[in-house]
Amino acid sequence: MAAEGAQAPQPGQAPPPEPVVPVASAPDDVLRVEHIAKRFGPVTALRDVNLHLRKGEVLGLLGDNGAGKSTLIKIISGFQKQDAGRMFVRGQPYEPKSVDDARAKGVDTVYQDLALIDELSVYHNLFLRRERVLRPLPLLNNREMKREARRALDEIGINIPRIDVSVARLSGGQRQAIAVARTVNSDADIILLDEPLAAMGAKEGAQILDLVARLKAEGRVSIIMILHNYVQVFQACDRVSMIQDGTIVLDKPTAETSVEELTKIVVDEYRRARLAAQG
Amino acid sequence: MASVAQEPASREPGGPEGPAQERRALPGWRAVGARLLALREGSIIVIAIVTAIYFSVNTSNFFTGENLETLLPYFAPFAILAAGEVFVMILGEIDLSIAGLYLFAPILFYKLNTSVGLSLVPAVIVALLACMAVGAINGVFVSVVGVNSFVVTLGMLFTFEGLSLIISKGTPVATPGGQPPLGTFGKVFGGGTYSELIWAVAIVVILQIVLMFSRWGVYTVAIGSNKLGASEAGVRVNLVMIRNYMLCSLTAGLVGVFEAVRSATVQPNPAGPNEILFLAVAAAVIGGTLLTGGSGTVVGALIGALFLGILKDGLILQGVQATYLLFYTGLAVIVAMTANVFVGRVRRGQTGGG
Repeated sequence: MAAEGAQAPQPGQAPPPEPVVPVASAPDDVLRVEHIAKRFGPVTALRDVNLHLRKGEVLGLLGDNGAGKSTLIKIISGFQKQDAGRMFVRGQPYEPKSVDDARAKGVDTVYQDLALIDELSVYHNLFLRRERVLRPLPLLNNREMKREARRALDEIGINIPRIDVSVARLSGGQRQAIAVARTVNSDADIILLDEPLAAMGAKEGAQILDLVARLKAEGRVSIIMILHNYVQVFQACDRVSMIQDGTIVLDKPTAETSVEELTKIVVDEYRRARLAAQG
Repeated sequence: MASVAQEPASREPGGPEGPAQERRALPGWRAVGARLLALREGSIIVIAIVTAIYFSVNTSNFFTGENLETLLPYFAPFAILAAGEVFVMILGEIDLSIAGLYLFAPILFYKLNTSVGLSLVPAVIVALLACMAVGAINGVFVSVVGVNSFVVTLGMLFTFEGLSLIISKGTPVATPGGQPPLGTFGKVFGGGTYSELIWAVAIVVILQIVLMFSRWGVYTVAIGSNKLGASEAGVRVNLVMIRNYMLCSLTAGLVGVFEAVRSATVQPNPAGPNEILFLAVAAAVIGGTLLTGGSGTVVGALIGALFLGILKDGLILQGVQATYLLFYTGLAVIVAMTANVFVGRVRRGQTGGG
C-alpha cells in the first residue's frame, strides 16, 4: 500500500508495485489458500490470493465491490474452479469438484443471495440436498425433517414460529438465520458467510452476530465472513483480511489494527484508482 | 426477528395447521369451502363445480351416464399431457415439442411394428424411449446449452411434425393393435372406453406424489423458484431439467399412442396435435401452475383439463352450433381465468392476511 503520509503519485507515473501479503499460515490452520487466481474472460477477478483460517477462528474478509471477495468464496465452496493456485483443508490438498463435494469435506457456504428457495418451506430449505427419505420408499420423511429442523433451530437459538411455511413469508433476518442454520446443521466445520448482514436492519444484524458469537464459543466451527461494516468486523472477528484488486493487501488480528487503518487503505486505493482513471 | 408477529399459513395443499382459529369458527359448508380455498387447486375446483352445476341446470342430460361416458374419456389425454407439462412449467420453462412427439410416437410405433417387425409392446416401448431421447435433447439444449426453451421446443415441434409427415408420406396409417376387434393391447393402450381415464388418474396421482413428496419434486420447485440458489445448494440443476423434459416427452408419446389406438388411425396432420398442445398448456395454467415457474400442481392440471372438457361438452349439449363452439370456448376460458385470479386473491387474503 502507499507509503505513510500518502504523497499522491505523479500524474502519468505508474503506481508503485504494492507489497502483497505473503503466504501466511499457522500450525492450527483448517483452511489454507495459496496463490489463487481466477479470470473471467478479460476480467481478472483474483490475481494472487493467499489466505488462511485457524481452527475456531472468525476471519473477517473485507474489500470493495468487485474486489473479488465473492469469487474467492465461490472457489473455496466448490461452486467455481480457480485458474491457478492450491488449497488445503486440515493439511490435505483440497480440490472440490462440486458444492456437494466441498460439503462432504466439511466446507459449506451461506451465499449472499441466500440460496433459499422462496416456494419451499422452512424445513425443506433446511434439508435441501440432505433430505430425509422413508427407506425403502424414495419419499420424503417430512415428519422427521420437521422434528429435526425444530431441534436444530432451537439448538442454535433461532426463533422461527412456524417451520412449515414457505420462507418467502419470513423477514430478512429470519431468512438469513435459516441459511446459517442450514450450514451449521450440515456438520460443516468450515463455514463461509457471504455478507450475512446485507439488507438487514440493525437489530436483526445483531442477532446474526450473536449467532456467530455462539458458534465461536462452541469452538467447533471456523468461519470466514464477508462484511462491509468495520464496526461489525471489530465486534465479531478475531482477524481481518482485506482484499483489493484481486489480492490480499492486509492480514492482521483485529486487536492489532483499527478502523482508521482499514479506512486509510481503502481511501488510498480510491485515490490511486482515481488518478489512474484520469491518466 | 422473533418479536415480529408472524401469522402465515401453510401454502401446501392439505397443510395440517393453517389459520386454525379461523377454521374452527367456520361451521359446516363454510369450513369445507375455506379448506378448499386453502388448496392451490382450490379456485379451479370451485370453478369446475360451478360450471358443471350451470350445465346440469341448463341442459337436461348433463349428469347422465351416457354423457359422462363421453365426457370423462375426452379430458383424459389433456390431463396426461398437462401432467408432464407441469413438470417443465414449474421449472419456468415450456415444452412445445409435445405436439410433435404426440404425432411422431404412433407413426414410429407403426413403422417399428410393420417395417421392423417388432411386436406391439416392444414397438411401443422403443417408440416411447425415442420420445424420451428427444426430451433429453430438449433438456440439454435448455439447461446445458442455454437456448430459450420456447425456441428449442418450437424447433423440435416442427422437426418432429415434419419427420412424421416424411415417414408416413403424408398419408394416414392404420394403428397396429387398434383395429377391431380390439385385443388386450388395444384395450389397455387407449382403446378401452375408460382406458385413458384410468391411465390419466394413475399418472396424475403418481406424478403429484412425486412432485410433493420426493426429492425430484422438491428440486423441481427449487429450480423454478431460485435456479442459482438451487445450484449453490448443490442441486444438480441440469440433470433435473433434462429429467423433467424426458418425462414430459414420455407423456406426450404415450398420449399419442393412446389416441392413435383409440381412433384406429394416425392422421399425419399437425393441426390436431397443435390444438391439443395449446389445450394441455391451458389445462396446466387454468389448474394453477404458473407460466413463470416455481409453483404448480398436477392435480390442478387434471381438474383444468376436466374443466375444459365440461365446457366443451356442456356447450354441445346446450345446442351451441359447431361454428360457435371455439368462440364460446375462448370467451369461457378468459372468464374462468379471470375468476381464477379473483378466487385466488380471496384465498390468499384468507390464508395470508391473518
